[in-house]
Amino acid sequence: MKTLFFIIDKAMHGNVCAQEFFDIALMAAAFDQKVVLLFEADGVNALVKNQQPEALQLKNITPILNALEIYDIKEVLVEKESMEARGLAERQLAIAVKVKSRREIQRQINSADHIFSF
Amino acid sequence: MKISIQINASPYQHQAADTAWHFIQAAMASGHEVYRVFFYHDGIYNACRDSRPPGDERDIVKRWGELHSNNGVDLVVCVSSAQRRGLLEQSVAKKVGGYERALANGFRIAGLGLLMEAIIDSDRHITFGA
Repeated sequence: MKTLFFIIDKAMHGNVCAQEFFDIALMAAAFDQKVVLLFEADGVNALVKNQQPEALQLKNITPILNALEIYDIKEVLVEKESMEARGLAERQLAIAVKVKSRREIQRQINSADHIFSF
Repeated sequence: MKISIQINASPYQHQAADTAWHFIQAAMASGHEVYRVFFYHDGIYNACRDSRPPGDERDIVKRWGELHSNNGVDLVVCVSSAQRRGLLEQSVAKKVGGYERALANGFRIAGLGLLMEAIIDSDRHITFGA
């Protein structure tokens, strides 16, 4: 089993890339690999509750976030510094996450077998 | 070393397809095995049969095809990325009344399972265009 580390550092709605990116992460979980998701930079905005991308005829990604646990993806990290820079608190987020500092995340990235971004 | 490649960006507009191709040449020249190239997101446009660049420019699509025929590198285009962007496999095109010759020689269309297999089996998986 390998550890695959997925970095979401861009806004998730507005193009199809994030949706397709999640497909890889879910596929990795289906192949019994260890999946770690990291939200940082503008990617943290995707976790905020009450998104309404339907107004732009875009698919809402929040249901995928809710399904992560079913896929056995339990490591969902958010970078503390990115949250602070955008004035976000944990209670504003749609799912349970682990808020970690850049330094802690760095250590985890270093121990991953593969790193993905989009 | 066993290496797999992922290409996420369209040719000509982005450097990814060129950088990846040069990387692959260098890797093979150094004795590494390039196992598979997986085309994802807009990277699927690397497999457009009807790409016709001017004669004095590199032909990116043809160059990939040669990588397959000369070196046996597996060129896989993601089915869901491709269908969303109008690049259909012949059998699917027949069924839905689409263009049946969209895919260039040397490429095949398959699912994300083949990407995952490549990632798991390779020592290194390198993404271009992300």
